[in-house]
Amino acid sequence: MSRQKSIEVLESKKNGERNMDEIYFKRFTFNQLAQHWAMIGSFMLLVISGMPLKFPDAWWSPVIVNLLGGFAMRTQIHHAAGIGMVILGVYHVAYHVFVDKESLLDRKVWPTLKDAKDFWQTIMFYLGKAQAPKYGRYSWKEKFDYWGAFWGMVMLCVTGLIMLYPFKAMEVIPYAYVHLSTIVHTDEALLATLFIFIVHWWNVHYSPEVFPMSKAWLTGNLSEKQMKHEHPLEYEEAMRQTNEKGDNSSISK
Amino acid sequence: MSLSNKIYSLFKNKYILILTISLSIFIGVAGAQEDVSCYHCHTKVVTEFRNNIHYDKGFTCADCHGGSTKSNNSVISDSVMSGDFVGRPTRNHITDICSKCHIKETEDYKTSIHWDAIQKGHPDAATCTDCHGIHDIRAIKDPDSSSNHQNSPATCAKCHSNKEMMSAWYYGIKTDRFDTYKESFHWRALDKGYTLVATCADCHENHKTKSHTDPTSSTYTENLPKTCGKENCHVGVNFDAKVAGGLVHDKESLHTAELKWNKTDMDPHMKDYFLGPFDLAYWIAIFFKILTTTVIGFFTGMVILDFLSRLKIQRRF
Repeated sequence: MSRQKSIEVLESKKNGERNMDEIYFKRFTFNQLAQHWAMIGSFMLLVISGMPLKFPDAWWSPVIVNLLGGFAMRTQIHHAAGIGMVILGVYHVAYHVFVDKESLLDRKVWPTLKDAKDFWQTIMFYLGKAQAPKYGRYSWKEKFDYWGAFWGMVMLCVTGLIMLYPFKAMEVIPYAYVHLSTIVHTDEALLATLFIFIVHWWNVHYSPEVFPMSKAWLTGNLSEKQMKHEHPLEYEEAMRQTNEKGDNSSISK
Repeated sequence: MSLSNKIYSLFKNKYILILTISLSIFIGVAGAQEDVSCYHCHTKVVTEFRNNIHYDKGFTCADCHGGSTKSNNSVISDSVMSGDFVGRPTRNHITDICSKCHIKETEDYKTSIHWDAIQKGHPDAATCTDCHGIHDIRAIKDPDSSSNHQNSPATCAKCHSNKEMMSAWYYGIKTDRFDTYKESFHWRALDKGYTLVATCADCHENHKTKSHTDPTSSTYTENLPKTCGKENCHVGVNFDAKVAGGLVHDKESLHTAELKWNKTDMDPHMKDYFLGPFDLAYWIAIFFKILTTTVIGFFTGMVILDFLSRLKIQRRF
């Protein structure tokens, strides 16, 4: 979802005195970072206020409900955070479709044949039978994260709004689907929660490669070392473009 | 030395002062026990009666049981049990006592299926005291009252979850009504301390409780939209009678977030309504169950593989 035509290579100015050798690669724009932060905030509120209702008989369910300030407050928090997430989703699509000038088809998030090959190679790599795959701007895992979240957002927002206004919804759709949305909503929510807590956090927090965390979500930048390791193809492309432009003077190597 | 001075000097001794005060308190307490006649023999009943809202309002035993109001300390209470005294009113006469004051409530109650059952001679059918208590009738707003809004499920379940009581007389009454109510969001919210939800009496009416097959009943299918949409509840929503019909006591409810997995067991009239054409809702629900399981299972496997591979390759870069 990057709008970069040519990949920006930024010299680290703030840390210039400390380490003149270090260069940073722009990974996410501030807009993208802010969207991710808003997502984290609303997602966490939704999980905390929603799971007590998914598992009403668990011992921790009333504990959380009471900590949130009672059942009515739990509902209000869930609705408010949910509407926040709907707005975020609408903003995301609107921004990246209408405002972002880069052609939709040129975006690097679309799944390609290479991702399928990388996926297979990853399994082989885990089994010790192949080299680690070389990724471009987005690895297949990151693409899956993105499209998984996209699918989940659509499912949860739609079913959530149906449950928020069941009788309005019933003017348009049959009762069967209002009923169904309660099942889809909780199932998808459980999937999203488990996926984020297990898989996403493994990739960006727990994995020894990045532990304690990859700071890209705070700064939007990747170090050269990270870049070479995690996105070697993008790194090569960036270097080729900067050399072509002839402004490699900006890189203090 | 005058008498008053003598008394005054007597009270100067603080032991005598304390003794006098504690004696007067004791007499006060003991006397308070005596404010209800019959206390000497019916100690337990009178103790219960002290929690009664009628006690607070100044009623006495005789107001319900009849007979003399005169306090009686003798062993055999001849004078108390005189006249129109009724020791233990029978089930069909309890309303006669309550109706002396609660005319409207008794009138409403006499249209209910409970009263019908009593008229037919049912030995256990509910009358005033079964819901409100016998001697410990509390105000409706008292949280300890058995007829308090939030205690209504437990109070109704006392009889309606009792298999012997329900089936001995009439086999048409289901005993799973409290259990199926527990499937609803109404109960889940109530259980978590959110009392602004419908309990038994809100839908079935407290006094005018009628069979759902009775066209004048609040739970008659055609009347359900009005019942659900009443004041303080789902006001102004456009209810379809069929929707409201499936809301509370059935497992295929909007409020349970659970599909009945055995779809062949489902009421054929409701099946189309709950599952849509080709049981589509059922298959979509299955799809999401499978999706969640496979995605989480697969990716957790990947994380484990990733972790294990690191045990072999200490440093990958």
